Amino acid sequence: MSAVAVSAPRRPIRRRLSSVGLTLLAYLVVAALLAPIVWLVIASMQSRLELATGEYDLLNATVEPYRTMWGAVDFGRYFKNSLIICSVATLLATSFAASAGYALSRFRFRGSGFFGVSVIGTQLIPGSIFLLPMFLGFVWFNQNVGLQLFDSYKGMILVYTAFFTPVSIYLMQAYFAAIPRELEEAALVDGCTRLGAFVRVVLPNAAPGIVATAVYAFLFAWDELLFASNLTQEHAETIPIGIRNFIGNYNENYDQLMAAGVVSTVPVMVAFFATQRWLVRGLTSGAVKE
Amino acid sequence: MGLMSESAPGAVAATTRRSRRRSLRRDAFAYALIAPAAFVMLAVHVAPTLGGVYMAFLELNLFTFSRLFHAPFAGLDNFRDLLFNVDNPVRSGLWNATRNTALYTAYTLTATLVLAMGIALLLAREFRGARVLRTLMLAPWVVPSFVVAILWQFMWQSDAGIVNKVLVDYTHLVDERPVWLLGPNSLWAIVIPAIWRGLPFVILVFLAGLQAIPRQLYEAASIDGATAWQSFRYVTLPLLRPLIAIQVLFGFIYSVYQFALPYVMLGTNPGPYADLLMTLIVRQSFGNTLFGYGAAISTLLMLVMFVWVAVWYRTFRRDLVAAR
Repeated sequence: MSAVAVSAPRRPIRRRLSSVGLTLLAYLVVAALLAPIVWLVIASMQSRLELATGEYDLLNATVEPYRTMWGAVDFGRYFKNSLIICSVATLLATSFAASAGYALSRFRFRGSGFFGVSVIGTQLIPGSIFLLPMFLGFVWFNQNVGLQLFDSYKGMILVYTAFFTPVSIYLMQAYFAAIPRELEEAALVDGCTRLGAFVRVVLPNAAPGIVATAVYAFLFAWDELLFASNLTQEHAETIPIGIRNFIGNYNENYDQLMAAGVVSTVPVMVAFFATQRWLVRGLTSGAVKE
Repeated sequence: MGLMSESAPGAVAATTRRSRRRSLRRDAFAYALIAPAAFVMLAVHVAPTLGGVYMAFLELNLFTFSRLFHAPFAGLDNFRDLLFNVDNPVRSGLWNATRNTALYTAYTLTATLVLAMGIALLLAREFRGARVLRTLMLAPWVVPSFVVAILWQFMWQSDAGIVNKVLVDYTHLVDERPVWLLGPNSLWAIVIPAIWRGLPFVILVFLAGLQAIPRQLYEAASIDGATAWQSFRYVTLPLLRPLIAIQVLFGFIYSVYQFALPYVMLGTNPGPYADLLMTLIVRQSFGNTLFGYGAAISTLLMLVMFVWVAVWYRTFRRDLVAAR
């Protein structure tokens, strides 16, 4: 008791000092986390010679790499392919996941436990085990059904939809679980069908979760490399394949490579920061009980 | 059940029939809801994986590749060759990649969890600009891994790279320029960017968890005379355990299956110190047409993951129940 009384007057000052210190530290840590991204942008505006020799001239910026990179490899096409494949796959995966996640969060049906476990189970499968069979399946479909899946938007959309459906189910289920059942019960009493209650009452309330799930799926689809590199050839190649071709053909063109890096990050950055308010809430609702 | 046994037998039959019909209708609705998701998962995950596991038992190499599923049946030969045949060059590569993957996963997972906890604690405080920092810090998570790989490959360059410029030229912390992209350091060349990119999401989750802890718990702890460390150890940590459990599960899976980072940064063969299991499998399968071996390693890896999840579940079962 007496010890507390003695140290009491000194405490506020020490406390305020350590509080300022911790705030400073927080700023420093975030600055350190952002530094490589800043460096990516800076490097993309240096000349090739400066990058190769390490004689950086940060004040003398150029946008030349951003002009020339489109000609070095057919980057515009990769960009378009990525946008189309990832957007459609995200749309499909999110809708499939919203309905499946709703079923899992509201109903106990025969096989619901098994389905829930399988959703997580798919994440344990290494891509390397089903990549070749997938490729063979694509070839088989082409020969027997006449459906071109290999190196096509359709094929890649199918693969990516399936890839990002499980994790989206996981996110959506957690989000639906946080929405009170009374909402739909009231709608059912008012004469809504179950489907009507889901579509008109639950889904609008789950909008932040849906946005979060969609952006999450899009980020991961944008990132996928292994399947894109083996299931596409010249028509449906996506940005990571473009970057790989860049490295293969123009190993020394770091200026263009960095510019290509910036350009391929911009769409996901924009998607992310435009939706971040919903994203944070949607991604953490499963993690935190409200 | 108890409720039903108290009513008359006829009424019981009627209610069960009616409730069964209703539950059938409700089940049909639920099945319709999961049907599209179940279909794509069956088509892309389940069926091809069964085919892949079957390939693990075939002698599928350059000479038999054209026969595909009709290649000679090899029984357990692929597994025996990979695990015990000392003359098989793929075997030593496999042990090597297994060690690298274990180290990569251990380093990445531990560092990510510890650092994320520290940074989350820093950012959970209320101060001017805290909200902006909490959003900005997420940026590395949004950078695609193939961009992370080319960016860090450029930063790791021995002579012109910014890392060595800072370490050697600007701060003189190190006397000789380290070589990052070759030799023993190449493991760090992929571990550090992986931590950098993985941190923000875990910070985000921990932050949400921290902000959900009622303030009164800390007040009670400090009235009881708890130090800052004690209130972290006995209030914060136990309450965050369910979140930590989930991050451990997915962080582990994600690390073991890492492919893009070493592949884009270091090439199809990232070398003896940075070759991970996924780069090894893809190289042996698609580069050397050893699809039988590739499928066998993938199958073993999948079994290891099942064991891992079982261990994980036993360890954290109580936390998961508590979180419900």
